[in-house]
Formats: sequence, C-alpha cells, structure tokens
Amino acid sequence: MAVKKDLSINYLGVNCENPFFLSSSPVGGNYDMVRKAYEAGWGGVFFKTVGIFVADECSPRFDQTNKEGLPWLGFKNMEQISDKPTEKNFEFMYKLKRDYPDKIMVATIMGSCDEEWKQLAKMCDQAGADLIEGNFSCPQMTSHAMGSDVGSTPELVKQYSKAVSSTTKIPFIAKMTPNVTNMILPARAAIEGGAAGVSAINTVKSITNIDFENMTGMPVVNGKSSISGYSGAAVKPIALRFVAQMLQDEVLKNVPISGIGGIETWRDALEFLVLGCRNVQVTTAIMQYGYRIVEDMISGVSHFMDERGYNKLDDFIGSALGNLIPAEELNRDFKIYPNFDHKTCIGCGRCYVSCYDAAHQAIDWDEKKRRPNLNDECVGCHLCLNVCPVQGCITPGEIKWKEGRKPVEIAMKHNYE
Amino acid sequence: MSKVVKAKYTADAVDGFTPRTAMEEAARCLLCIDAPCSKGCPAGTDPGKFIRSIRFRNVKGAAETIRENNVLGGSCARVCPYDRLCEEYCSRCGIDKPIQIGKLQRFAVEQEKAHKMKILTAPEKKKADKVACIGSGPASLACAAKLAQAGYQVTIFEAAAKAGGVLTYGITPARLPQHVVDFDIKSVKDLGVKFVFDTKVGEDITVDELKKAGFKAIFVGAGLWDAKIPEIPGKDLKGVTNAIDFLKAARDSKGTFDPGKKVVVIGGGDVAMDCATTAKLLGAENVMVYYRRTLEEAPANMAELQYVTSLGITITTNFAPAELVGDKKVEFAVFNGRDGVSGAKVAVDTVVFAIGQAPEDMTKIAPVKVTEKGTIAANAKGKTNVAGIFAAGDAVNGGKTVVEAVAAGKEAAAEIIGYLAKKEGVK
Ligand SMILES: Cc1cc2nc3c(=O)[nH]c(=O)nc-3n(C[C@H](O)[C@H](O)[C@H](O)COP(=O)(O)OP(=O)(O)OC[C@H]3O[C@@H](n4cnc5c(N)ncnc54)[C@H](O)[C@@H]3O)c2cc1C
Ligand SMILES: Cc1cc2nc3c(=O)[nH]c(=O)nc-3n(C[C@H](O)[C@H](O)[C@H](O)COP(=O)(O)O)c2cc1C
Ligand code: SF4
Ligand code: SF4
Ligand code: SF4
Repeated sequence: MAVKKDLSINYLGVNCENPFFLSSSPVGGNYDMVRKAYEAGWGGVFFKTVGIFVADECSPRFDQTNKEGLPWLGFKNMEQISDKPTEKNFEFMYKLKRDYPDKIMVATIMGSCDEEWKQLAKMCDQAGADLIEGNFSCPQMTSHAMGSDVGSTPELVKQYSKAVSSTTKIPFIAKMTPNVTNMILPARAAIEGGAAGVSAINTVKSITNIDFENMTGMPVVNGKSSISGYSGAAVKPIALRFVAQMLQDEVLKNVPISGIGGIETWRDALEFLVLGCRNVQVTTAIMQYGYRIVEDMISGVSHFMDERGYNKLDDFIGSALGNLIPAEELNRDFKIYPNFDHKTCIGCGRCYVSCYDAAHQAIDWDEKKRRPNLNDECVGCHLCLNVCPVQGCITPGEIKWKEGRKPVEIAMKHNYE
Repeated sequence: MSKVVKAKYTADAVDGFTPRTAMEEAARCLLCIDAPCSKGCPAGTDPGKFIRSIRFRNVKGAAETIRENNVLGGSCARVCPYDRLCEEYCSRCGIDKPIQIGKLQRFAVEQEKAHKMKILTAPEKKKADKVACIGSGPASLACAAKLAQAGYQVTIFEAAAKAGGVLTYGITPARLPQHVVDFDIKSVKDLGVKFVFDTKVGEDITVDELKKAGFKAIFVGAGLWDAKIPEIPGKDLKGVTNAIDFLKAARDSKGTFDPGKKVVVIGGGDVAMDCATTAKLLGAENVMVYYRRTLEEAPANMAELQYVTSLGITITTNFAPAELVGDKKVEFAVFNGRDGVSGAKVAVDTVVFAIGQAPEDMTKIAPVKVTEKGTIAANAKGKTNVAGIFAAGDAVNGGKTVVEAVAAGKEAAAEIIGYLAKKEGVK
C-alpha cells in the first residue's frame, strides 16, 4: 500500500489536513475550481483577492522566462485582484466552507482605506472564513492606495492590520511583498497592528523579456507593457531567504509563517517547512500543471517522513533554520578538493573551461586522454562540480586544512543529484 | 562499414537512467490529461501517473504506482513491445519521438530496489479460502499477487525448478536479466504466496487432489510449452532443436552453452529473435534467421528486429524450410522460396525451429473445454466451463505478451475473488 503519513497541522489555531494550500490567485477564483482543488487533495485555499475595487484586466497578461529549452523558469503576470463582483466572491467562499467544512477557507482581501478593510473583514465574518489574509503586496495595482506600495510602507501595513483585527476575531495574516530590502519592518508592523501571522512572498517586480517586434516588454498590450509581478521556480530562492530572515528575527520568530514562491514539488514545499513555515501556498506550478501536483506533494513528504521516522510535521518543522548562520560565522579553515572519477568522465571538458575562464585555472586538461587533472591552484569552490554533466563524476573529495588552522570534525554534503 | 554491436549473453543490453537523465526524460513528458500512454498499457501500469511522479521528484511514489498496478513492472519495463503499446500512444510522437516510458519504468523499479522499498502488503488476517495457481509465469504471478493482497492463501504449483515461466526459461538474459525477474517475483513471495516447484499438475498431482487438499479455486496459467516442428525430412537429425529446448538449455547453462558455429533460426516472431540473439551472444559465428513471409508480416516487434540486425545477424524472408540434410548430424538446411522458383542451401551446425508453440494437453490438468488449437476456452475474465477453475495468459490467448498475461491474471483474480465471496455467501 502507498505510504501515507499524517500531514495534519495546526496553523493559527485552525486544524488543516495538510499544509498545502492554493495561494491567492486565479487558481482559486470560483466555486468549481476550488472544489476540484479540494478533491485533488489540497488542504485549503487562499481565495483570489477580493476588494471593493473590481479589477478590469488587460489582454494578454502573462509571459514566461526560459533557458535552454526549459520553459516556465519564471512566470510574469499583469493581473490585479478579482474581476468578479465582491458579493459573488463571498458567496463562493460561503458555499465552499458549507460544502467542505474540513477544508480551510482563507479569504484574501485588499482595501484602499480603513473603511474598506473593515467592510471586507465583516464580509469575511459572514462568509464563515477560517482565516483572513491581507494582500499588501500585489505589484501591479492601478492605484497607489493598494498593493505593494502599501506593503512597503510599514505604517500603512500596521494601520490596515489594525483595521481588520479590530473588526473581526478571525486570525489575520499579512501577505508581504518582496519588493523591499528588509521584510522584517513591514512584518513587525503587521504584528504590532494585530496580525496573527505573515505570508510571503507575493510576486517580484519584473520585466521578463523585451519584444523586438514592438520594442516593448512582454506581454505586449497594444504595443506597450508594464513592470509587473514575477513568480514561479525562479523566485523560490528569494522567498526562502525572506522567510528565513523573518523566522530568525527576535520579534517574529514565533509568528506562524506561510511560505509562498516557486513551490512545485514536495521537496520545494519541504524546504519551506524545514525553515519553519507551518503552511505553504502555490500558484504558478498549478497554472503550469494543474491541481494534480498536490498528489506527489502528499506522497513525497509522506515518504520523506517514513524514511526519517517522523510521525508528524512538527517533528521536523524548522529543523534547518538554526543551520543558516551569518557569513562571518562560517568555518573558513578548510577547502574540499573536488574528486574526478575518470571512469565515469565522458571527456567533455566543461569543468576545464569553467575553471579556467571563471575560477582558478586549477584543472590541467589532458588533451590526449581528454581527462581533467587537478593541480595545486584549486581553492575548493566546486564550480567544476556544478557544471559537470555526468552524475556522480565530480564529487567532494579530500579535505585540506589551511596553514595553521585547527582541523575539526566537519559535516559535508555527499550526494548530489 | 556498419558498426556491429558486440554484446555478452549475461550482460545488460542497454544501460539504465541515472536520476539526472531520468529527470531529463521525464521533463520531456507533456503530462497529458487523461494520459494516452496509460490507455495504451494493457495491465494498467499507468505511465502517465508514474512519469508525473518522477517529474515532481517523487520517485518512490512512481515505484508505488508501478508495483501496485503491475506486479511484474520490472520485467515489463524490459520486454514490453512499447512501440505498439504505451509509447505508440504517446502524444509526444506529434512533436518528435515518444517518451522512453519503458526506460523510465525501469528506472523507478531500480530505485525501488535501491531504497529497499516494500510496497505490496497482504492483510495480517488471512481469509480461510485457499487458492492454487498452476504455473509460475506472468499470468499466475499476477493472479496470485492480487489474491494474496486480498487476504487469500495462495500456493503456486510449478513444473520447473524455478519460478517465472518464459521470463526465466525463455527470454534472453541480455534483454531480461534474471535479477530483474527475481526482484519482481520476490514481491509476490513477500506477500506470503507459497511456491511448490518440480510439480507438474496432471502428472505429479491432480486437480482432484488439490481440491481435496482444500483449494477452493484453481487458476491455470500453464502457458505454451509444446514446441512445433514441421514434418520435413531430416527433422530428427542431431543438431535440430526447437526454441523452448534451445533457450532453456542456454538459460540453465548460465552462459556456457555452445550453440554451434553456424546457426539457422527458423521463424519470424520474438521467440525466433531471442533464439538468434542467444546463439550470437553465446559465440556462434554466423547466425541466420529464415522467415517464410515478409518482414512486414513478421510478428516480432521492430525494436527486436533492429537489435538482432545490430548484432550482425541476417534475416532472410520469403524462404520456408524444405529439408534438413546430414549424416547423423545436420549439415545443410534447404529452403524453398515463396515465389516457387528461388531456393537456398545453407551449411549449418544447428537448426532452431521457432515457429510457434502450442499448449500441452490442458485436459490432463483439468476437464476444461479446449479450442481446436488446444488453448483453454475461457472468457475475458478467466472463467472456464468448469466451476471453480479459471485460466488466463498464453494458455488461453494462444501466445501474446507478458503484459497481457499480467492483465489477464489480474482480471482472473478479481473474478476468483467474486466467485469465492459468492460461495461464502451461499453457505
Ligand atoms: C522466447 C520468448 C520470447 C518472448 N519475448 C517476449 C517479449 O519480448 N515481450 C513480451 O511481452 N512477451 C514475450 N514473449 C511472450 C511472453 O513471454 C508470454 O506471453 C508470457 O510469458 C505468458 O505468460 P504465462 O504466464 O501465460 O505463461 P508462461 O510464461 O509460459 O508460464 C507458464 C508456466 O506454467 C508452467 N506449467 C505449464 N504446465 C504446467 C503444469 N501442468 N503444472 C505446473 N506448471 C506448469 C510452466 O513451466 C511455466 O513456468 C516471449 C515468449 C517467448 C517464448
Ligand atoms: C496570475 C497571478 C495572479 C495573482 N493574483 C494574486 C492575488 O490576487 N492576490 C495575491 O495575494 N497574490 C496574487 N498572486 C501571487 C501569488 O499568490 C503568489 O504569492 C506568487 O505568485 C508566488 O507564488 P508561486 O511562485 O507559487 O506562484 C498572483 C500570482 C499570479 C501568477
Ligand atoms: S487559456 Fe483559456 S481563457 Fe486563456 S486565452 Fe486560452 S482559451 Fe482563452
Ligand atoms: S565536466 Fe565532468 S565529464 Fe566533462 S570533462 Fe569534466 S569531469 Fe569529465
Ligand atoms: S502520452 Fe506521452 S507525453 Fe503524454 S503523459 Fe504519456 S508519456 Fe507523457
């Protein structure tokens, strides 16, 4: 029988069957979509952002980046918040909660002033939402009173968080924009304003590609384009960084964080969990592949737990956080030489090219045998290991201690995929 | 000059994927809705799902999908004629070439082994009913696994000394290494299925005795083990043999069998191709396949024909054997052309007839109705005319593929479960 572990988790006082949620976006925009997502196995939904403002969208509105034939490295959208009437959206949420009481309904809202935020909070109450998320982070709103312009101003984040949490008892989550240098400030402001949790990240302001036909960015809307939000696999590293920084902050360390950005597989989701997130959200991967991707998230995390002997998510949540330390605290006393396996080497010379042109000319190229040989210049940067196309060919080898440094027991990575 | 492949009898014909190359291949998959590849698999192995699992880095989940749907997933990954099954249906054919589904399946099963996974489970508490499966080929193994998973106590009776049927005694190990077969069979054994070897039902033990011993249902998966040799002059000369005996001798010898220097194989199916590769890989200098019809009419699949030619084996079509000549030992094979004019005389050491097999006398096993070809008359669910006796696989379909035998064995298990449940209800 397929391995299936207990993935349930308490997130902001709400019992979730698993931590995998749709993030606020068109992937959770009406009753039927969310119904299908629930049935595929998602634990809950952050419903598409609802405002008093109803969006009037442009067409086309998406673009994607790729490299060497691999599409969707990153994804750009020019969508705003829901384009459906406010009442209609709350009706969807109400019916979904009524018909699927065990699935978690998070209403994501966005107002442009205290009054709107309060009005929306009341509507969440009436719709029976389990949680409320405040969207302080959409980078392509047509008004500066909404979206990431608000999210990068801590005073406004605090003010609106207060407006919502003074109106309803439903726990409030502030969704952060990555278009700031320091996310801790708006996140702390949200908590001060009464928010119970933080979610991050929303999309990154971007220009993905320039179209030379129209001499503008992509997508092309009547010969023009706009800077707008970037998401998907390419933004995961940025998301992980912000999440880790918040969880390491003295003030925020116990605030439940929902991780968002570039999650496609169970490993991506697990990365956010081991940093300390209690919930994860997905949009772009669903836009590319559909709701079914949750099946392998559930199965994959179950197998991981089975392998390591974990019985619940809390057994390992946050287990990697403490191992992320400031650069000045890293042990710099040794280098690990790469080991070249001449048997599996196919003689392409990529390691040589990269080492010569971008590292330390530490590889001698045996032209006759077409094999690399390490010389004394090697600094142990592992550029070669990262370019070698053959799995298991270049691996971490001998540990060399720098002159006069004291050797100690070190932990290193052995298996590269 | 053509490059001829030099291979060894017991060495893997093709290398498998590494995790990295498997991911590259899985990334080519279009993740189709209602995956056509899955529809193309007779046994319901569900490639659409397991490739998606590999793509989303859940290789253990992929292994689960395969093993749960097809207990012989490892063997099928090696020998299925994909080009007319899953891969033929693959949507990617509309762009360039199909996803290498068989090879990805092999990768997932190899990972299952590497991770020492134990996927299939049988309930702790067994049902009272015992079922006997006759034969340990793909059909019986698939049937036995399903029954054991449902809690029945299953015993397999096998005439030979080892389990696997054609997997163990037929197909060349270069295409299907024994360790792959053994790993598949282990997952059946781990379910608590008992194996009784060297026991031919109908000779060493009768069905009546089995019934008396408490077996409430009997499944017959006896395959085709009667070799056909045409009635031509010289057929009894030394050096003339049939595919079954030839392959079995090779397999039993573990690679030390001497096939002779000049070997002629007669036939145009997978079996003929396996005989030809076996002869070549065991050191025959000149191996020639003679087939009486055209390549287009040959039942062997293209991949196999290509593999055979890549080894430097020749295939001559439209020639049928007329006579075998020799003094005590065969020395020449004489062929007549289909056109009625051409002819050929070929010097040989060994002649292997691979022109099809028939079932042995199935009525010796049980009083079942048989067709004029000698196969057991059973419906698609494995029901025969005798209550409590079921049959599937080659012994029913006259000889098809491993994956179809698995599919039929699974069907029959479902039918047996229904039959036993009903009997239980009557009591
Ligand atoms: C040489 C060769 C190559 C082939 N290559 C391919 C291929 O590449 N791909 C593919 O898909 N298919 C291939 N096939 C076909 C495939 O192997 C068969 O369709 C499949 O094995 C049928 O499974 P089965 O269980 O019905 O019978 P078998 O595999 O024949 O198993 C029957 C078993 O029953 C045992 N048995 C018979 N009578 C009795 C009895 N009275 N009591 C006890 N035990 C008994 C036999 O010893 C045998 O072990 C090949 C077949 C041959 C012969
Ligand atoms: C088309 C599209 C529309 C989005 N709409 C919203 C929205 O209405 N509200 C919101 O909070 N975030 C919105 N987002 C941001 C996502 O919820 C998410 O934070 C971001 O895309 C990063 O996650 P991902 O990489 O899994 O897509 C949208 C994203 C996309 C791609
Ligand atoms: S994805 Fe659907 S809605 Fe969008 S352009 Fe294509 S058909 Fe129209
Ligand atoms: S990159 Fe890898 S395969 Fe290529 S030459 Fe270097 S070690 Fe060999
Ligand atoms: S049909 Fe081909 S492309 Fe489509 S899911 Fe199956 S293997 Fe992938």
